[in-house]
Amino acid sequence: MRKVFDLGFKWVTGLCALLACGVLALMVGAILFRGLPAVSWHFLTEQIRLVGADGGIFYNLVGTLILITTALIVSAPLAVGVALLQGIYLRSAAGRRRLLLLLYLLNGVPSLLFGLFGFIVFVKFLGWGKSWLTGGILLGLMILPTVTVALIERISSLPRRYLEAAAGLGLTTEQVIWSVILPQSVGGLITGALLGLARAAGETAPILFTATIFAGATVPAGIRESPVLSLPYHIFVLAQDSFDPAVGTKVWGTAVVLLGLVGGLSLIALPLRLRIHEEANHG
Amino acid sequence: MAESRSAPVLEVRDLSVLAATQPILRGINLTVPAGVILALLGPSGAGKSTLLRCLNRLIDLTPGLRVQGEVRFHGQSIFAAGADPDALRARIGILFQQPAVFPASIRQNVLFGVRHAGRVPRGDWPELIERALGEASLWEEVKDRLDAPALRLSVGQQQRLCLARTLAMNPEVLLLDEPTSALDPRSAEAVEHSLLRLKGRRTLVLVTHNLAQARRLADQTACLVVREGAGEIGLPDPDLDRPAPTVGEI
Repeated sequence: MRKVFDLGFKWVTGLCALLACGVLALMVGAILFRGLPAVSWHFLTEQIRLVGADGGIFYNLVGTLILITTALIVSAPLAVGVALLQGIYLRSAAGRRRLLLLLYLLNGVPSLLFGLFGFIVFVKFLGWGKSWLTGGILLGLMILPTVTVALIERISSLPRRYLEAAAGLGLTTEQVIWSVILPQSVGGLITGALLGLARAAGETAPILFTATIFAGATVPAGIRESPVLSLPYHIFVLAQDSFDPAVGTKVWGTAVVLLGLVGGLSLIALPLRLRIHEEANHG
Repeated sequence: MAESRSAPVLEVRDLSVLAATQPILRGINLTVPAGVILALLGPSGAGKSTLLRCLNRLIDLTPGLRVQGEVRFHGQSIFAAGADPDALRARIGILFQQPAVFPASIRQNVLFGVRHAGRVPRGDWPELIERALGEASLWEEVKDRLDAPALRLSVGQQQRLCLARTLAMNPEVLLLDEPTSALDPRSAEAVEHSLLRLKGRRTLVLVTHNLAQARRLADQTACLVVREGAGEIGLPDPDLDRPAPTVGEI
């Protein structure tokens, strides 16, 4: 009887895994099947034309790359600061837990609220209007927990003997940070950032009314009133108008490009993560 | 032999270490005269490593521990307000049971502390490297490959590299936490050889399980025993072979 139950349970778990993988495979398959025919060199290098029914998504791709690069520049130094505070400077376990809890809370804030916050503070209060910088800052703040937690994990898994050896030689805490902790945990920062950026690239809500428009923007020249085009917003707008078969193909094509970007970032992160784990176990 | 030849370098007075309210060490008194090798014996869990880490305040790095009592280095309390633990650790070096070489070249590892302390001019570095590696009995084995990755060395060589790294700082006192227990016999012998040559010029505090090693190296011996859950200075286990003469103070 127990054997039967065991076997049954094994089957159920297998089915769950199959279902999860199946959904992913179906989604990716559908997007590729419908979108791949639309993707071409011209699609990637041409501007949008005929309100999205023709032309390409060059400046949407550029805009998304600008947004996630800014997000990276915003989140990386903040993540380093918070992670060092959490892992090195905070002495009490309660303080460390509280800071970590705060990060998880930040991670749970709905992305639309980031958008609202940015709209109130940057667009209205600072009077930037729609700006790529607002979008980059908001996305950077949004992925801050992801990047920081990855870095914290890496720092806390550093062999204690390294820290003790460096401190035992009379290095100050600051010198230990620069010569031991940061060089040896930069991998965590990179993987965390890649995973975070993969998420940021697909986010629509934070940039919806703060940073991106549908058409008419190229490379921003300043900060005020300098929106960019972006891939997710492009999909968002075109999808509402996809009765037109010409537009439909473009939507799927854009989806393929976005999927490629996100998948690419995640794929780079994966082997890096594995390699770092290996180093940590053998170091 | 047990008589102090000069003023003590380190004095531990009524030192206790507590984790929350649970004592790890209780009421430790210990005097380390200049230039001797003092062996610190005792069973596992008696707090030998904890005591050693108090002597250069490396204990500060472990959160949740409270230190009571006093440790004096040349008569100055090292736990006093305003005492600089980093400067202290530059003068009191430490060698651990497991070597912790950094993922860099042999040369970079020897220079690791020196570079940050900034006391030795760059021009003197080559000489310093040769002296430190020589004192650690490693120079002959690595002199032709100073730029090779240190992680490629054997564990025994890595441990001697760590010794060289500490000696490069020219510390007055060297704390050794079971420095040979993870090593092959040949490396262990090389490390012991180095330590014997340092005797008289530096003060060494050696934590060891190995009575024979204590007898070979130490001028003085102190023993930690576990009493009511905490380590105290006491007489060695009578079942053990009689160790070297004990310090008068304890």
